[in-house]
Amino acid sequence: MNPEAFLQLDRVIHEKGRLAIMSMLAAAPELSFTEMRDTLKMTDGNITTHIRTLQEAGYLSVTKSFQNNRPLTTCSLTTAGKKAFTNYINLLEEIIQQTKPK
Amino acid sequence: MAMESNWAAEHLQVIRTLMERSALYRRALAPIMTYNGVLGIVGGAVGWAAKIDSSRGFIGYWAGVGLAALAGSFVLVRRQALKESEPFWSPPTRRVAQALLPALFVGSVAGLLALLCPTWDFLQPRALPPFWILLYGCSLTGAGFFMHRGIKLLGWLFIFCGSALMATRCQTAGSLSSLNGHFVMGCVFGGLHLASGIYLYFTEPRRNET
Repeated sequence: MNPEAFLQLDRVIHEKGRLAIMSMLAAAPELSFTEMRDTLKMTDGNITTHIRTLQEAGYLSVTKSFQNNRPLTTCSLTTAGKKAFTNYINLLEEIIQQTKPK
Repeated sequence: MAMESNWAAEHLQVIRTLMERSALYRRALAPIMTYNGVLGIVGGAVGWAAKIDSSRGFIGYWAGVGLAALAGSFVLVRRQALKESEPFWSPPTRRVAQALLPALFVGSVAGLLALLCPTWDFLQPRALPPFWILLYGCSLTGAGFFMHRGIKLLGWLFIFCGSALMATRCQTAGSLSSLNGHFVMGCVFGGLHLASGIYLYFTEPRRNET
């Protein structure tokens, strides 16, 4: 197998928790912090750390607002995030193709 | 090499599952179903007891019950969204609303035409209950693609009930009287919603244990 594809996998996305966040956001234009936390069964601290890492990589944007005087935090993928996620999926598919018996 | 392939395939499967899950509507449905169930049963009982027998009265009365159901459901969904610090008009809510809308729109237009146009003979006013039940079943099966599986089943139950009512009318001469119409609406709309609400109350995962 050509190890090229495996080495090209984005390390920021590759981590399990961050990949889960990216996957959820890839299917929805935006998701609230609580929705992601509850679905992924993560702690507040854990998900906050992952969101910050993704935000620093430019893959995710965080919007803080108020809904009926309650704070509402929503996350969405940036254009760079969508591109990085698509690349990651393509590389996984490439790995599967390469190792498929001919 | 096979291990790498398995690992990549498993990763893709996890990604697919998470993408599907994030697109699903996740509000607790038990209170909404219970509310609509109680409203339907009470509506049917009041309509029958008050002997609302005219076609116009029947349609107007059930249009009012329908609006109360819609308004109550809206309030319950909004309250849940606020409580969970989540946007009310979220993408899954939008998808569910879009799936529900066409059949509900057709049902409303049919009711409105039967109410306003006495010469409209496309659908007898008293044939409206089975028609409404069928359309509601269709709207639920459509919305069920964005909700948990039980909703599609509930939609099919409505469709079966609507079909059975049409078949009953084929066997017996004449149409449903409005008083029987109240009974049908109360039993089918109220009964099925309430049964579904009770079932969901015991089986629906609570928040934070999703």
